[in-house]
Amino acid sequence: MKIYHKIFKKPWPYWVGGIILALLNILMLSITGSAWKVTTGFLFWGAGILEKVGFAPNKWYYFAAYNNGLKDGQSFFMNTYTVINFAVIIGALLAVLWASEFKWKKIKSFRQLGFALLGGILMGYGTRLSFGCNIGAYFSAIPSFSLHGWVFGIFMFVGAAIGCKILYKYLL
Amino acid sequence: MTSNKIEELIKKRQMENKKKKNQTPYGIGVTLLALVIYLALLNYNLRFSSFWIIGILIGVTMQRSRFCFAASFRDPIMVGSTSLLKAILIALIISTVGFFIIQYNTIEIHGLHLLENIPGQLKPVGLHTALGAILFGVGMVIAGGCASGTLMRIGEGYILQIVVLIGFIIGATMGARHFEFWDKILISKSKTIYIPKYLGLFPSLIIQLIVLVGLYFVADWFDKKNSIMSSM
Repeated sequence: MKIYHKIFKKPWPYWVGGIILALLNILMLSITGSAWKVTTGFLFWGAGILEKVGFAPNKWYYFAAYNNGLKDGQSFFMNTYTVINFAVIIGALLAVLWASEFKWKKIKSFRQLGFALLGGILMGYGTRLSFGCNIGAYFSAIPSFSLHGWVFGIFMFVGAAIGCKILYKYLL
Repeated sequence: MTSNKIEELIKKRQMENKKKKNQTPYGIGVTLLALVIYLALLNYNLRFSSFWIIGILIGVTMQRSRFCFAASFRDPIMVGSTSLLKAILIALIISTVGFFIIQYNTIEIHGLHLLENIPGQLKPVGLHTALGAILFGVGMVIAGGCASGTLMRIGEGYILQIVVLIGFIIGATMGARHFEFWDKILISKSKTIYIPKYLGLFPSLIIQLIVLVGLYFVADWFDKKNSIMSSM
């Protein structure tokens, strides 16, 4: 019971999380040939929705360039990104349920909702320029020895500093 | 806050937790569901099943260790704490070594001339990287979480993060729609820079490790000097 308490009830130190995430990313690259990436999956869902309502996003320039298109046997809704992104949600849900800590947490204000939506849009747009988010273009890119990972990390810090200024001014 | 007061708060918290309902039955239910999906994927597509199991482990780890990439960049600025940033630097040190071994094995066979063959995230670098990263950094702080953190918090029950996800989908789709414009003016003019191609394989590994370890010590020093947490 003591071990159960330690693993499932008490939070782990950050550095333990860091070590495990690193090992999982290495494992993923060696088994699947692909490092951890997140946000292209969000684009695929957006494109999938557009396709459902009658547009033809698969004809966009984006999907023909830089090997950006869907791989064989995958669709906008059924692809490796969908699988891993849902898995992360389910993994977090499992962890809170085992600790009996699950609770719906409501949105506090209209302003919070607006900032969430705006922040999401800014991040989403940014990821298309930089070929990934702070996972694909940073957490997986720096260990890949690609210079863009370092550039992304430095300028994400600049962006975060600007974001903090905005927070102080409008949210806090 | 004195440590006595903190302990009192912890005790109060624990009492509240005891009153809370036991959610283990739901936990067992979702665990079984995850297993069923794993078995189904195993039959459907072996690669998908690997992504599923690793993804679950990532979700569990991020939730248990309260991992947040956004906070690792925000906390040093807002509260002077670098404990998350240090954890990420440790992760980058370990994965640098792991990725190096995987890439080394490929380069032994295929050589260095074809970057597409090298496993990992190798992408063009230029002004577009900086621009995208700044947009991302701003968005991450005002939305209160990045992509992976958003997924984790949806699993924890935060409704706000579903809104962030919707924004993310809208933004990523708009970005892809405008990609032709950005490619013409910026991206197509830049190239992918794989550091070992210029510095050599082993020197790149050593230099990167020295830089990461150096950053760790700088972060540690910064924390001791500035963190409002460590002076409590």
